[in-house]
Amino acid sequence: MNPWPFVFAAYAIALGGTASLLLWAWRSMCAAEAQADSLKRRA
Amino acid sequence: MHGYANPARFLKFARPATGWFLWIGLLLLAPGILGGLFVTPPDYLQGETVRILYIHVPAAWLGMAGWAGIAAASLAQIVWRHPLSAIAGRAVAPAGATFAAICLATGSIWGRPTWGTWWEWDGRLTSMLILFFLYLGYIALAWAERERGGDGRMAALFGLVGAINLPIIHYSVMWWRTLHQGQSISITGGSSIAPELLWPLPLTLVGFSLLFGAVVLMRMRAELAAAKFEARLRRTSTE
Amino acid sequence: MKPKHQRLTLAVLAIIAVAAAVLLAMWGLRDRAAYFFTPAEVAIGKAQQGAAIRLGGMVKKGSIRQRSDGVTIDFIVTDGSHDVPVVYRGITPDLFKEGSGVVAEGRMRGKTFVADTILAKHDERYMPPQMGNEVAEHAAVKTVQQ
Repeated sequence: MNPWPFVFAAYAIALGGTASLLLWAWRSMCAAEAQADSLKRRA
Repeated sequence: MHGYANPARFLKFARPATGWFLWIGLLLLAPGILGGLFVTPPDYLQGETVRILYIHVPAAWLGMAGWAGIAAASLAQIVWRHPLSAIAGRAVAPAGATFAAICLATGSIWGRPTWGTWWEWDGRLTSMLILFFLYLGYIALAWAERERGGDGRMAALFGLVGAINLPIIHYSVMWWRTLHQGQSISITGGSSIAPELLWPLPLTLVGFSLLFGAVVLMRMRAELAAAKFEARLRRTSTE
Repeated sequence: MKPKHQRLTLAVLAIIAVAAAVLLAMWGLRDRAAYFFTPAEVAIGKAQQGAAIRLGGMVKKGSIRQRSDGVTIDFIVTDGSHDVPVVYRGITPDLFKEGSGVVAEGRMRGKTFVADTILAKHDERYMPPQMGNEVAEHAAVKTVQQ
């Protein structure tokens, strides 16, 4: 059984999953902080 | 609710820390991943599939450490009613669940060519799968409580009680005869992994952990910003 | 009692209750939770005839024999003190070899274990190929002990 497809699949899942998690957290943070700041500027 | 409308001390740490965690994490992860994929030798028994070690072990560690964090936050919530504890629990849960899922997926992929099966109901695999379901339960409970405006004490109780699974996962390979192999590394030193194969592991372990920390900080900042937004909205609407 | 102490007591009691329940369950299931029987357990008759079980141990050196039909193999699973002959028809995993760990799923027929599935089990040692061959002997015994 050629090991490399297994190795690459595992790395893809780990790195892809981590990247997605980071992206989601980053975007939710930026949106929320921008929203909170928008009120501050007006007030 | 209003208690954490302005948690200045936490944010003073969290804002710069997010960047540090993110960049140092990536800096450590890159050589770990590249080394594990292309530099280290194959294993005497498994061959090239041993490379999955460098991502499977950090994922398992973070899946478990995540719930330990939830348990600590839950304790703070129940005993001291610390205002940040419910937010901390909710911040950790998606990250912990993601790494638990990565652990199960990479483990399954590793098992097929080495053991000869995608899955077996042995002690370690089963208790890790249970941990993943516990995460889903916690996330559902915590989000439902937040929607209803609760203070998160049900989720905290769930987080505390669920922690019993952690020693079960850890000692499963010692208490029962399992298909999953035993410990290769102990904190007290000593490892049954040869140095030529070992070196990328601390890099990926710390690298992924720092990225995990960055995610937790970002999620806490997001929830705190949302709370601040609601507080300001209420203030301006009553003026 | 202060409310904070009340809450702490409640939390600790809840944890103790769950821990006790889980430990009780684990103790009650301890034999079932073992993933496989060892050859020693089969020798003292712990494995029921005809029941679907798993047998785990080491593939005895020099014991793998292929039958004339080209698909069926005979080999011996040992734990150092007892041997169980196994017959298996099918493809074996890459890591199935003499001197390595194995878990076989199947049933006892008389003194022989008829296997439906073969899984390779390895221990927690990892090392490069040159070092590996010398240490493989010791690794195999360790595998059985686990």
